[in-house]
Amino acid sequence: MRSKSADTTKPRRADEPTLFESRRLLTLILVAALMWSLFNVDWRDGVLHTGGISAFREMASALLTPDLSGEVLAKLIGSVWRTLAYAFAGLSLALAVGFPVGLLASGVLRADGAAPIRRIARVILAGLRSVHELVWAWLFVSAVGLSPIAAVLALALPYSGILGRVFAELFQDVPEGSLRALRNAGSSESQVFLYGRMPFVLPDLLSYTFYRLECGIRSATVLSFVGLGGLGFQIQISLADLAYSRAWTFILGLIVMILLVEAWSGAVRKKVIS
Amino acid sequence: MATKIQAVRGGRLASLGVVHLSLIASLVMLVLSWAFVLGWERQQSFSFFSTEAAGRAWGFVEDLAGVGRATQPAYADLSEWSRTARLAYDTLAMSVLAIMIAALGALVTFMLGARNVMRGGSLLPLAIFALVRWSWAFTRAVPELVWALLAVFIFSPGIVPGAIALAIHNYGVLSKLAAEVVEGMDMRPIEALRSSGAGRNKTLLYGVLPQVLPRFMTYLLYRWEVVMRTTIVVGFVAAGGLGMEFRLAMSSFHYTTVSLLLMWYLLLVLGVDAASAGLRKLAR
Repeated sequence: MRSKSADTTKPRRADEPTLFESRRLLTLILVAALMWSLFNVDWRDGVLHTGGISAFREMASALLTPDLSGEVLAKLIGSVWRTLAYAFAGLSLALAVGFPVGLLASGVLRADGAAPIRRIARVILAGLRSVHELVWAWLFVSAVGLSPIAAVLALALPYSGILGRVFAELFQDVPEGSLRALRNAGSSESQVFLYGRMPFVLPDLLSYTFYRLECGIRSATVLSFVGLGGLGFQIQISLADLAYSRAWTFILGLIVMILLVEAWSGAVRKKVIS
Repeated sequence: MATKIQAVRGGRLASLGVVHLSLIASLVMLVLSWAFVLGWERQQSFSFFSTEAAGRAWGFVEDLAGVGRATQPAYADLSEWSRTARLAYDTLAMSVLAIMIAALGALVTFMLGARNVMRGGSLLPLAIFALVRWSWAFTRAVPELVWALLAVFIFSPGIVPGAIALAIHNYGVLSKLAAEVVEGMDMRPIEALRSSGAGRNKTLLYGVLPQVLPRFMTYLLYRWEVVMRTTIVVGFVAAGGLGMEFRLAMSSFHYTTVSLLLMWYLLLVLGVDAASAGLRKLAR
């Protein structure tokens, strides 16, 4: 890897030898990890499937001829809407859970930091975000049955964990200087939060939420694999029929949708942060 | 006090045209989405919030715990743990392979997609820039699981198709992040190198990479955490690691095995989170 040569060219200052060493160590660890993972690949039977190359060729040529018949396009629009609905409903629920729990996890509401509550809230957030949304969806569907609520809940659980952690960090990272005026006026910690921290972090909060909306739409696509309709489901059944052209229609539809949402959220974030 | 609050607010929330409209649009979408989801839910043969559903959910939790079964639950059986250890090991290898392939792809292309490097040149660099940017958008927009569905047609079963699928998506993510670092770089050391007569390669080696690589490694480690969470999902379709076994156990109703696999999964996720946090300290 090139990183090694770059590190050795860094001017080595006497006061930070450990920094220099630690980066080289990290590079070594990463290279070793790559070697180890390559070592675990089963090379004997060949990496490619028999017929893998012809499958690839068929897929690539199907990409140039997506199925644009009226029936497929109608399905595409229907499943795009369903995917968006999951994402918006799930993310709104995640906000409703993540914001208060994140606030508790930040410990900014009390001068003493409320350490026990904070620790519990942190554990809850870490637990929520450690399981992937599709695993949640599968468990919900097995437990209760096919229901759109299962998809919304599955999306909301990990997303509330992620939003909560990031919000907590934002609340904590407000520079003390901008809160001093409120403190000097004798405000309580909750007033400092409401009138000092909250207005300060609001742009970042909005920006991050819009970024997560992007991710949420991608996740909502994946969620539908367990049989809840939506784009992912359509892609899956098209591929099961080996109808590559139809699959590409849905994949290209997904890409267009994601890029549009990305452009939208990017515009909002630029405006909000500037 | 009001004026002080104004002072805090004034600088940061500047013009709000787009933002206001977007908030209104989001609220409309939110209402429509919930109306759609709840309306559809009402058409189902059962309600998600009924006592019947709660009973079923509780029954499922009991199945996962293995309550009322004559046989020993799989998660309490050491031989089951050692049988599935190999799958956990494969899953970890899959995540490492995936993030490394993604990182190599990103290292090769990130400069070619950075606006401040490629813009203002002649037609060829501009064409390369457009192509590279497009490849990032394309790979990033498609989720890992969809790439995995395609990869199983091409690669033989094992950790490779899953790793490739994860790598394709994360190549787009990592490259874009790295390009953003390049676009936000401190240009002074680079100007200094240029003015002292360093060529293109030397500027890259001594000016750009030392600034970009530490951030790049931090992003790489963060993404590794995400990749670890997603390997199980990719494994559902890509015939490798814990995911495949999870799917088999689910469809054959071996719920205590499902619990065991979930335990492995959580151990791996927490372990990778801890390892990544430790390694990130080295990158600083």
